Amino acid sequence: MKKLLKSTVCMLAMVAAGPAVTLADETCNSPFTSALIKGQEDFLHVWTLGEVGVGDESDKLVTIDVQPNSPTYGKVVHSVSVGGRGEAHHTGFTDDRRFLWAGRLDDNKIFVFDLIDPSKPKVVKTITDFVDKTGFVGPHTFYATPGRMMIQALSNKDTHDGQTGIAVYNNSGELVSVHKMPLENGGDGYGYDIGINPAMNVMLTSSFTGWTNYMMDMGQMVKDPDAMKKFGKSMIMWDYKSMKPIKTMEVPGAPLEIRWSLKPEDNWAITATALTSKLWLVKQDEKGEWQAKDVGTIGDPSKIPLPVDISISADAKGLWVNTFLDGTTRYYDLTNPEAPKEVYSKKMGSQVNMVSLSFDGKRVYFTTSLLANWDKKGEDNEQWLKAYDWDGKQLVEKFSVDFHAEKLGRAHHMKFSAKTKAAALGE
Amino acid sequence: MRRKRRLPLAVPICTSVLTILLVGHIWPNSASGGADDAVPLGLPPLEAHQRPVKAQVELGRKLFFDRRLAFNNTNSCAMCHIESQGLTSNQSARAIGMEGRSLSRNAPALYNVAYQDTLFHDGRESDLAQQAWAPLLSPLEMANPSIGHVVDKIRSFEDYRGLFEAVFDGHGPSMQTIGDALASYQRTLLSGNSRFDKWYYGKQDDALNADEKAGFEVFMGKGQCATCHTVGEKSALFTDHKFYVTGIGYYNAIGAGSRVAKVELAPGYFIDMKYEDMKSFSAPRINDIGRFAVTLDAKDRWAYKTPSLRNIELTYPYMHDGSLSTLEDVVAFYDKGGLEHDGERALQPLHLAEKEKADLVAFLRTLTTAEDQAKHEGYR
Repeated sequence: MKKLLKSTVCMLAMVAAGPAVTLADETCNSPFTSALIKGQEDFLHVWTLGEVGVGDESDKLVTIDVQPNSPTYGKVVHSVSVGGRGEAHHTGFTDDRRFLWAGRLDDNKIFVFDLIDPSKPKVVKTITDFVDKTGFVGPHTFYATPGRMMIQALSNKDTHDGQTGIAVYNNSGELVSVHKMPLENGGDGYGYDIGINPAMNVMLTSSFTGWTNYMMDMGQMVKDPDAMKKFGKSMIMWDYKSMKPIKTMEVPGAPLEIRWSLKPEDNWAITATALTSKLWLVKQDEKGEWQAKDVGTIGDPSKIPLPVDISISADAKGLWVNTFLDGTTRYYDLTNPEAPKEVYSKKMGSQVNMVSLSFDGKRVYFTTSLLANWDKKGEDNEQWLKAYDWDGKQLVEKFSVDFHAEKLGRAHHMKFSAKTKAAALGE
Repeated sequence: MRRKRRLPLAVPICTSVLTILLVGHIWPNSASGGADDAVPLGLPPLEAHQRPVKAQVELGRKLFFDRRLAFNNTNSCAMCHIESQGLTSNQSARAIGMEGRSLSRNAPALYNVAYQDTLFHDGRESDLAQQAWAPLLSPLEMANPSIGHVVDKIRSFEDYRGLFEAVFDGHGPSMQTIGDALASYQRTLLSGNSRFDKWYYGKQDDALNADEKAGFEVFMGKGQCATCHTVGEKSALFTDHKFYVTGIGYYNAIGAGSRVAKVELAPGYFIDMKYEDMKSFSAPRINDIGRFAVTLDAKDRWAYKTPSLRNIELTYPYMHDGSLSTLEDVVAFYDKGGLEHDGERALQPLHLAEKEKADLVAFLRTLTTAEDQAKHEGYR
């Protein structure tokens, strides 16, 4: 109760002042997250997929020292295997930032890591009945709200297609409510990401595909016309407090990550469509109605560069966009969000998926794995984490960790942490 | 719609992973009476060994839908044979199994499986109770490490306590009772009493319209469909249970020339993409030689079993590899004589007029059972 009250106070402060008061940490965390990092992050946690023939072949949370002053800078300092391969994918902090929830898209297990000692994350709870309790499959996005963890799923237990929904848990890991993605008023039932703008009391969701597709070999899927029909083409704006859809917007081609501008005076979010390689702006028009607008292409859409993760700068003037298939990261000038302009690109390797930007915009981290069966094969299946400094003009590599050489697996989602006084995490 | 064709000489012997996994256990005939013998209009009577044991059906259904039967608790029989998708999967051409592994073939629809003399597209199994163990143990599908692992796992489930003993004379879960229960449930999946049945066997003249009746004439005559998809005087399973080549298997394994996929990136937005440009993110496809893997007879290379056409409207995509998405595609495929097989057309072109093709498709849509269509309604 004490924690809930604390979180609520934090949320109210956010709503009143807007998320931009935050001066540290990652830009893509839920705005309800407290105990933010002040300045330089100390550790990077990488939710890593187990891979056949690599080490113990199990999913694991890998912790890397990213503090430049540390003697173990750029090294793996901890790794905790959770057993088996369940398609490890995304993670999210609880609102008090003490616990990291990490999901698996195949066997639907959710692991809760305690980060009281961020150098040694420890599993303190495993949720194994997500499917039985919710009917959903594929816990994807973990998004903190006051005292709650909102989980956007990708699929369902009856058909393994993309009809899915959102489950809300409390921070103790108990299910509170379920909300199916709407099929009415243009809704297609698909889900992917969640982005809440608390100041406007709105929640934006995006749409991807179901278990059958996200587990399938990507080459097989692209050649399969029936499979390719099973992708989402909608974004939904919800009234956050009532969890009721306000408007469904047609955004064809699988809109994925949602990034709200963190500037308090802004009323827009941006996303990228994976299949059609476009940037879409979701913004209120002059009448206050939400509209989705195609504002630009990413690379050469005819070659399916496959934009995946995006990361917005804290001042909303820049956007990193990774394109998986050409292994390239691109930086867009977002000064005019209606007309993003690519101003920089760099070939990172054979494939690149996730990008995480520090709040001050100076450090950028990249990892490689998209989904186990979508990753490239053979020698093109590079698996690494690379850390860069960004001076506004170019990326300068600081260190890299080869996840194959280290016998770890496929490097996927990243989260920052810092050595924090235990009191700040509720101890 | 298929014509048998003899094929020359041998190719290197190669057996599929699934064939290697065949369970060579000899079972007693476990099906017996106890269920109603009545079958839907248009189906033949079930012989004694084809009938479900009524007391076992609910247990079999529970097993069929139980996702815990996969090694990692994520897949049941019903995840590839989906009740709302024609007892197959409408979502992909080829089935997807353990950890997303690719199978080489489309999940066969299970309607009227009770009548099947042989099971799987290559007919490698002959009894439903035995068949169940192939997917349970295949590393590509449910990937259990052993028979004992499955049996012990089910024994450990509280919600199964006493259920087997109650319907198997005191016997608990075992290789035999698990297979028998699953078989009994699947033997209830009967599909008949379609509009075609009401018209042809029920003598209800207005059950079909003129186009559909014309389509039936094409089906029985110029289209030569009934040569393999047989129609009897008193009943029709729309299969002769035999094995044929269409050229698709040969094309997948050997077919020459660069290939291009027409990829739909968003509704109505297509691009052409060369297969060679997809190599970096494409796993090698499992070679599939069809019935040959069972018989080692050269004439059976790339031969596959004639499927039933019951509920064909609901069981897309079509062919053993799911390579054709619509009934129109299938009719066009047979109209042009299939694909090349060993240097010549596998089948003779039909030269159907456009009206005949449309009527044929209209007729095929009369083979849908209303109850199964209702289950399919919720799927989008």
